[in-house]
Amino acid sequence: MKPRQSAARSLNTRSVSYSTSPLLASKTPPWRSRFLVALVGLAFAGLLARAAYIQVIGEEFFQRQGEARYAHTVELPASRGRINDRSGQVLASSVAVPSIWAFPKEVDTDPAKRRELAKILGISQQQLEKQLDPATRFVFLRRQADDDTAARIKALNLKGVFQDREYKRQYPEGEAAAHVVGFTNLEEKGQEGIELAFQKDLQGRDGSRAVVRDRLGRVVEDMGERVPPANGRDIDLSIDAKVQFFAYQRVRDAVAEHKAKAGSVVVLDVQTGEVLALANFPSYNPGERKNLSGEQLRNRALTDVFEPGSTMKPLVMALALETGRVTPQTPIDTAPGRMTVTGSVITDAHPHGVLTAAEVIQKSSNVGITKLALQMQAREMHEMFTAIGLGQRPQINFPGTVTGKLRPYKSWRPIEQATMSYGYGLSASLLQLARAYTVFARDGEVIPISMMHQTAKEPVHGIRVFSEKTAAQVREMLQMAAGPGGTAPQAMVSGYSVGGKSGTAHKQEGKSYAGHKYRSWFVGIAPISKPRIVVAVMVDEPSNGVYYGGAVAGPVFSQVVAQSLRLLGVPPDLEVKPQIVASGKLQAVEESF
Amino acid sequence: MSRINFLLLLAVLLSGLYMVRNAYEARRLFTELDRAQTEARRLDADYQRLQAERHAQATNLRVEQVARERLRMRAITPAITQPVDVAAPHAAGAQP
Repeated sequence: MKPRQSAARSLNTRSVSYSTSPLLASKTPPWRSRFLVALVGLAFAGLLARAAYIQVIGEEFFQRQGEARYAHTVELPASRGRINDRSGQVLASSVAVPSIWAFPKEVDTDPAKRRELAKILGISQQQLEKQLDPATRFVFLRRQADDDTAARIKALNLKGVFQDREYKRQYPEGEAAAHVVGFTNLEEKGQEGIELAFQKDLQGRDGSRAVVRDRLGRVVEDMGERVPPANGRDIDLSIDAKVQFFAYQRVRDAVAEHKAKAGSVVVLDVQTGEVLALANFPSYNPGERKNLSGEQLRNRALTDVFEPGSTMKPLVMALALETGRVTPQTPIDTAPGRMTVTGSVITDAHPHGVLTAAEVIQKSSNVGITKLALQMQAREMHEMFTAIGLGQRPQINFPGTVTGKLRPYKSWRPIEQATMSYGYGLSASLLQLARAYTVFARDGEVIPISMMHQTAKEPVHGIRVFSEKTAAQVREMLQMAAGPGGTAPQAMVSGYSVGGKSGTAHKQEGKSYAGHKYRSWFVGIAPISKPRIVVAVMVDEPSNGVYYGGAVAGPVFSQVVAQSLRLLGVPPDLEVKPQIVASGKLQAVEESF
Repeated sequence: MSRINFLLLLAVLLSGLYMVRNAYEARRLFTELDRAQTEARRLDADYQRLQAERHAQATNLRVEQVARERLRMRAITPAITQPVDVAAPHAAGAQP
């Protein structure tokens, strides 16, 4: 090659011919061009394969990766349902409140600003520094802060500190309705009461939407479907907030006055079976959730069972009347105020001599009722107790309800049959007892009870246990017991006729009964001529000298009945001498227990 | 021939510009809508809060306190009540 090139150069030194380049004329070997074509072809094939891989084989993966870079899912929080009373008054509702959080690494390190932040939060600077430990990625500075704190922190304009809205539960009625309504935890999950029982209905379902965000985090487009949030359902309770509040106040006052440990009140509407009030003391503030103890949290009217004492007597008497063993006028000899059953002695507080059956209830004679009970078969009594709901869990949608204790009748000994007739050896909750008394209020039917507001206007139907005649006769006896010459004249209500039975039970401690610890009861019906409500009151360990059920629980009954009937719009059925209240002047007959 | 081509090119250009403008407008409106919805949610939350506050001001405890202390009212008793027989059927709770 060399000699030919040099020859050409020498030839063209003077006149360069551009049209014919010797380079072009040079003969290239054909494999070179083929090689290049093959190379380009291969490259194209590679691109094609890659395109096929991205768009056909691995499409899903790439689609997802792409979306992840611009699409975001925004959660749409559902709000928790409200809990209302029967008239729509709010007992619990959710409100959005600010929560303050921070990315500790990003928080401004200026000590002056941090000091200010600690001051607003009401914590020491050391505490704040501990919270803002840079090793943690995220920290809540204050959950569910008040609006004032939030505004001040916002004004501080500190880097790395953010605010968000969270839902918080509010309980306007506070401790008065605490045991019914219950409370939730910080995540708005029901922990007690109705909040727990209806967690599923109340909570609702969060919705979501997929959106496209731009560089600045603004939502620029909706994509895909949007799931709207389903807000929680509102729950309408049968509770009447006014009756509830009043009942709570009265039982609180009674507990304070008698230096008692605790107390409970239940008010039932006997037409519909609705629970109008269910109050316990001691109580707590459901919005605070601080320093809660079991003593405060327990819904005693539902979860605690006690021996009901003399409040059982009218039920046994009703059975005796129903089976034709006695009439209200049948004389029963209770002298000398004591009797022996298989070696155990049963006594009355005062010997009464010969009483009629009605007076046995009025004066609450243990001996009298025992004589009736011993004529009965254990099976009869057990069937009656079961029919009125003792030893059975109340059919009510509420956590923590208990069954109480009622032993099978085959294991009853005669002395147990005797003591059960005046309320020892079996146990019931206050709610069970209140429900049992609907049998007298509803002419012999025991009705189902409910915590939900019943929209149907007609009265509920129950299970017949006694005849109408028996129920009317017992009502008369109950009226005598809650009147002059009875065990609980303090239960009388000005303007309304009432009837009821007091009870005073020794408290059981371990295996025996405590000497000076009592539980005072009163369960009654008002107005007795045309029953509308059943009110049951229990005061635990009154220790201020007075402990008879009539004297401790009776006045609570009286006040609650007066207020409830007025609120329900029930007209007085007794003539009232203006401004005269008779109950204070009458002397109570001490009952047996 | 070239005139048709020119016209088509113009049409494509115009429709392209129109589309760009539309997309821009759509996003702008969407942001506006989104902002309005956020505002609606915020106002709704505010409404809920104020309602709760109103309930808190009207609790039985407060009503009783104000009635007793500031207005010097006292609870009524049947002794100072004259029941009225309301025959109208809509009067709930009033039984003759």
